[in-house]
Amino acid sequence: MSLTLNHYLFASGLLFSIGFAGVLLRRNILTIFMCLELMLNSANLSLVAFSRFNVGPEGLPNYNAQILVFFIITVAAAEVAVGLAIIVALFRARQTTHVEDISTLKF
Amino acid sequence: MPAPLSPITLEIIVLLLGIFLLLSESFSKSGDKSWMARFSIFALAVTFAWSFFTTGDAGVDLASSFYSADPSALFYKRIALLSTIFVLVMSLDYLPTLRQFIPGSTVGAGEGEFIALPVFTCAGLMFMASAVDLLLVFVSLELVTISFYILVAYMRRQSTSLEAGVKYLILGALSTGFLVYGITWIFGVTGETNLIRIAQVLPAQLAPGGRLAGSESGLLFGLCLFIAACGFKVAAAPFQFWVPDVYQGAPTPVTAFLSVGSKAAGFIVLMRVLEPFLSQASIAAKLLPILGILAAASLIYGNLAAMVQDNLKRLLAYSSIGHAGYLLLALACVAPTDSSFGHSGVTISFYLAGYMIMTLLSFTILIVVAKHSKGDDISHFNGLSKRSPFLAFAMLVAMMSLAGVPLTVGFYGKFLVFASAVQQQQFLLVGISLITVAAGFYYYLRVVGAMYWKDSSDEAPIRVSLLTKFSIALLVFGVVYLGIFPQPILNMLSSAW
Repeated sequence: MSLTLNHYLFASGLLFSIGFAGVLLRRNILTIFMCLELMLNSANLSLVAFSRFNVGPEGLPNYNAQILVFFIITVAAAEVAVGLAIIVALFRARQTTHVEDISTLKF
Repeated sequence: MPAPLSPITLEIIVLLLGIFLLLSESFSKSGDKSWMARFSIFALAVTFAWSFFTTGDAGVDLASSFYSADPSALFYKRIALLSTIFVLVMSLDYLPTLRQFIPGSTVGAGEGEFIALPVFTCAGLMFMASAVDLLLVFVSLELVTISFYILVAYMRRQSTSLEAGVKYLILGALSTGFLVYGITWIFGVTGETNLIRIAQVLPAQLAPGGRLAGSESGLLFGLCLFIAACGFKVAAAPFQFWVPDVYQGAPTPVTAFLSVGSKAAGFIVLMRVLEPFLSQASIAAKLLPILGILAAASLIYGNLAAMVQDNLKRLLAYSSIGHAGYLLLALACVAPTDSSFGHSGVTISFYLAGYMIMTLLSFTILIVVAKHSKGDDISHFNGLSKRSPFLAFAMLVAMMSLAGVPLTVGFYGKFLVFASAVQQQQFLLVGISLITVAAGFYYYLRVVGAMYWKDSSDEAPIRVSLLTKFSIALLVFGVVYLGIFPQPILNMLSSAW
C-alpha cells in the first residue's frame, strides 16, 4: 500500500484537532502554547503534501507552498520567543501559569 | 522628468526608520526618549507626503508577483501611516504613565521600543495593503500581530497589562493557526498561492469537468477557517471574546492602534482574499450568508453589551465590535455578479477611514483626561466641559460621529452601508442595524451627558500640550469636513475600485 494525499491530510487534520482540543481543554498556559504550535505544524504537513501531490503540467509541484512552510516555521519561532517572554513575565508577577488564576480583568 | 517612484519605497523608508529607532535606543545615553517619538512623527509625516508622488508600475505581471501597487493599496498605506502618526502623538502623552510600569535600571530604559514597535507594525500594515500572494499576506499579518503581542504586554509591572498580553497571545496565536490551516486548504484545492492566479484559474476549475466541479467543500472549509481568523483580527462576534479584556488592559495608545490597525488589516486582507471567490456565484451564495450572520451577531452583541459598561476603554471595545458589524454588513452586501468589489469596496474603505479618525480622536482625549483624573471610567469625564471646554467639545464631536449624527463622517459611513444593504434587499440586516444604531446613541450620549451635565469633584483645568492640541484639532476638522464634503475622497476611492 502506498501513501496517498488522503493519508497525509488525515494525519494533518488529526494533529490540528488535537492542537485545537488542547487549546480549549488544557488549563496550563505552556501546554496551550504547545498545542498552538502543533496546529501550525499540522498546516505545514498538509501544505507540503498538497504541493507534492499536485504536480503542474510541467511535472513540477508549486514550490511557493513549500517556501511558505519555511516562513511558517520562522514566524512560529518568533511567536514562541515573544510568547515565552510574556509568559515568563507573567510567572514572575503572579507565580502561576494557570488560566484560572488570570482573572483580574472581568471576562 | 525623473522616473516615477515605486510605492515600495514607502515601506523601505518606514522599515529603515524602525531599525534606526531600535539602534538609537541601544546606543543613546540620554534618558529622555520623547525626541524619538517626535522624530518618527516627522519622518512618517514626510513619508505620508511622499506617498502622493509615487505611482504604481503598470508593467508588473501581478500573477507572478507578491506585491501590488494599485490605488486601493496606496489608500490603505496612507491610513496605516496616518494612524501610526496619531498613535505616536498619543504615546508622547502616555510616556510618563508608561514609565511607572516598566522596570529599568536607568531612567528612560525600555521606552524607545514603545516608539519603534508601532513603526514596525505600520510597515506590516503597509505590506499587507499590497499583498497579492497568500505568503505575503501571512508574513505581514504576523509582523503586525507579533508586534502587538509585545505592545499589549508592554507595562510589565502592571498585572492587567500582562494579563491582557497573555490573553491576546493565546487567542492571536489561535487565529494564526486557523489562518494558516485555511491558507493550506485554499492552496490545496486551487493549486495556487497567488490571488491573481487563483482568480484566473478558478472559473475553469468550477466549470463542469474542472477539478472543483461539484466538490467545493474543501474550498469552503478553507475559506471559513480564513474568515474565522480574520474575524479574530477585526473583532467580530463570535470571535470577539478577547476584545474587552485586551482593550482595557493594554496601554491606551496601543488600544487605539489595535482598534484601528487590527481592524483595517483584517478588512483589507478579507477583501483581497475573498475577492476572487466572491465573484463566483456558486461560492458567493454560500459565503455571503455566513458574513451576514457574523455581521448581525457583531452588531447585536457589541452594541447591547456596550450599554452597561462604566469603563470608557471597555465601552470603546464593545463599540469597536459593533463597528466591525457595520463593516461586515457592507462586505455581506457585495453584489454576487460583480467582477470586483465595486461599491462595497468604496463603502468599506470610507467607513474605515472615518472610523480611524473618530476612534483616534476619542482615544487621544481619553489619554489626556485619564492622565489628569487618574482613571479611565466614564465618571472621570464628569464636568469636563468646565475643566476644559476644548476637550469636551472634541469628545462631543467624536461621540456624535461614532453614534452617527448627521454632518459627521460616522453618519455618512453608516449611510453608505445602509444604502448598499437596501440595494441588495437585505432588509432583515437593515432592521437589526437600525435598532443597534439606536442602542449606540444611548451609550455614546452617556459620555456626553457626563461631560456636560454632571459635576466633577476636581475643578482643576486640564492642560493640553501644543502637539496634542494640534492633533485633536486636526482630527475634529477631519470628522466634520469628511462628514460635510465626502465627495473628494469618495471619487478617489471609486477610481481605485
